[in-house]
Amino acid sequence: MTARDLIPIAVLTLLAALLPLVVTSSPVLNFLVFMLIVALGAQGWNILGGFGGQFSFGHAAFFGTGAYVTAILQLRYGVNAWAGLVLAVAAGAAVGWVIGFLSFRSGLRGSYFALVTLAFAEVFRILANAASFTGGAAGLLIKLDVHPANLQFADRAVFYWLVLALVAAVLLLTRWIQRSRFGAQLVAVRENEDAAKALGVNSLTVKLRAIALSGGVTALSGCLYAQYFLYIDANIAYGSWISVELLLAPIIGGVGTVFGPVVGALTLHGLGEVAKQFAGRIPGIDLIVFGGVLVLAVAFARGGILGLLERLRDRGRGMVTRGPKEVSHAGR
Amino acid sequence: MGRSVQNTAFSRRTVLKAGAAAAAVTTTLPFAVPSILRAQTPVVKIGILQPVTGALAHDGDLGRAGAEMAINEINAAGGIKSLGGAKLEMLFGDARSTPEAGTQEVERMQAEGVSAIVGGFASPICLAASQAAARYDLPYLVDVGVSDQIMARGLTNTFRFSPGFGKVTQVALDNLTALNERAGKPGRTVVLVHEDGLFGSGLAKLLQAELPKRGFEVLETIAHPTPARDMSNVALRIRSLNPDLVIPSNYYGEFVLLARTMQQQRIKPKGIYAILGGAASNGRFVKEFPQAAQNVIDCNHWHDPKNPKALALRKAVEGQGKSFAYNVSLNYSNVLLLADAIERAASTDRKKIIEALNASTFAGHIMPYGPTKFVNGQNEGATPINTQIQGEDIKVIFPDAFAEAKANFPAA
Repeated sequence: MTARDLIPIAVLTLLAALLPLVVTSSPVLNFLVFMLIVALGAQGWNILGGFGGQFSFGHAAFFGTGAYVTAILQLRYGVNAWAGLVLAVAAGAAVGWVIGFLSFRSGLRGSYFALVTLAFAEVFRILANAASFTGGAAGLLIKLDVHPANLQFADRAVFYWLVLALVAAVLLLTRWIQRSRFGAQLVAVRENEDAAKALGVNSLTVKLRAIALSGGVTALSGCLYAQYFLYIDANIAYGSWISVELLLAPIIGGVGTVFGPVVGALTLHGLGEVAKQFAGRIPGIDLIVFGGVLVLAVAFARGGILGLLERLRDRGRGMVTRGPKEVSHAGR
Repeated sequence: MGRSVQNTAFSRRTVLKAGAAAAAVTTTLPFAVPSILRAQTPVVKIGILQPVTGALAHDGDLGRAGAEMAINEINAAGGIKSLGGAKLEMLFGDARSTPEAGTQEVERMQAEGVSAIVGGFASPICLAASQAAARYDLPYLVDVGVSDQIMARGLTNTFRFSPGFGKVTQVALDNLTALNERAGKPGRTVVLVHEDGLFGSGLAKLLQAELPKRGFEVLETIAHPTPARDMSNVALRIRSLNPDLVIPSNYYGEFVLLARTMQQQRIKPKGIYAILGGAASNGRFVKEFPQAAQNVIDCNHWHDPKNPKALALRKAVEGQGKSFAYNVSLNYSNVLLLADAIERAASTDRKKIIEALNASTFAGHIMPYGPTKFVNGQNEGATPINTQIQGEDIKVIFPDAFAEAKANFPAA
């Protein structure tokens, strides 16, 4: 990685980190924290779905695992919340590896892989809903005990900085993947798995690494969700809502780009909040905006918002559409 | 399009522009809209939190209607007199049927300076929202959420006027036993039908343990998911088991579906006894499917039918073309209770309102609870009562002190 790779991440993180000093309003911070938690999980999805081309419809499996592991460790075994965070990430990665092993080894690709992940998430949801170990349908309530050692902060800004730091760390990780040999192999598998194999890429190993990383990052976001709202149940942790959230953000922002998931999460949730503010009396207006943005993005910005911006910039400079890239797009 | 590894799809400048623009739009615009100043008449802002979009939208609508009616009534009667006739101003928040949306609305209400919040409806929303309010010592009145966890956290800002899960199930079992004995013990065998979520499975587990102690035999426990689109198999199973009693615990849609399927297949147990039934105390069910609804008994939140204020409220709600359900009376009563506390506190100071709630002996509500008495935030007098759908009406049948009609059990 060169300085050119790192500067955008550093500048954006720094700007975002300065926000709480300017905006002290709690609703804004609360909104940003939730948005960043979604963005973090979406970054996890993007590693597997964006760079690896393995579209998952069931990232709730990882999100929920992160949330449940940290909650159960704290409640049943008295493990410190920070240690719980680390173990939750490890558990998410492990679950990712196992799901990947079972499905990739069977050669599941494309929509078959998507359906299998969906099934895994649903199985987890039903199990978590039925087992007494997970609190069953009543869910788990992490004790409200505001202390930095418990990963609970009196000031929302501190939690915001923590999530922001983790989002920045994953931005760096994603940038590293993009520049690394592993990333090149991953993209090769995405574009044409058989060709990649012919070139000597061990596609199974590459995909397993990607799904483990992806699972770990998404579990981290689940863990932060549990730690922030202090209550989870099966439908929150393993519900299909979160799978959809994590999938939409990168698609809107730009699949397979470093900043796509963050831009997507910010756009979707940000526009929703704006709409709610201006049309507060009409319930559901933000959801209409949410749907509208989605339709527009799918119809007009096939590379997501970042892709659209790039095309607009190219047009502004009077550049002709780049041939080879269009070919690769059409081939997808 | 640029997803290749070697050739980045975007330049630093693009990203900076995009990021800055998005950040500017989302962070400054929504919250910078200045609120309109209304300094002339003093107002007390009250946050009403209900899910009016998403899966619970119908319930949220009813809750809001109840709260709105109480606020209008108090304002029409001169507002809060100890604060110079200050009017109550409703600040409504859509909890969108999710805990995080509920939390976000609590933050907004806090920023707009509410004195207290009423509502939540579902337990997960109540849990998250009351916790968010606790950060600011903001009084929070749970309207319906029955989960025992809500009151077990020791939050000093959280109050629940209505009964919790433990209390409801205990009363439901006691009343069932009493009704059965009074009718000459026609009910001996039971089939439990429950949804596999929060209410259903917890309740089924408890009933499995408690019913045999009271002389009932549980033939089978049938679980189904929410939403369920078909109840034929459940109904067929019930037919083959032929129990005296069916005890369902599920939400509105599934309850209606089960009752209709049983009606179509002519399965007529001696009684359908719901506990916190999704539809058994809902006017819409009675109006839309009167035949399937006949004789269904429920043990649930319900207003005191002998209270003239309750009857007037019911008439007013039905006059608006809305169906009447317990959320209306609970939210109505909660707002009255809160207004009484603010009146006695003679202040919008949150600590004083909490103190006033703790000392509350409010009897001007419309529930069959008697004067309020809060112990660790829970109203000790709160209790569910039994209703039965008879004809085109929901009638209270037990306990006798509130009963409007005799129980039709075993069902003719």
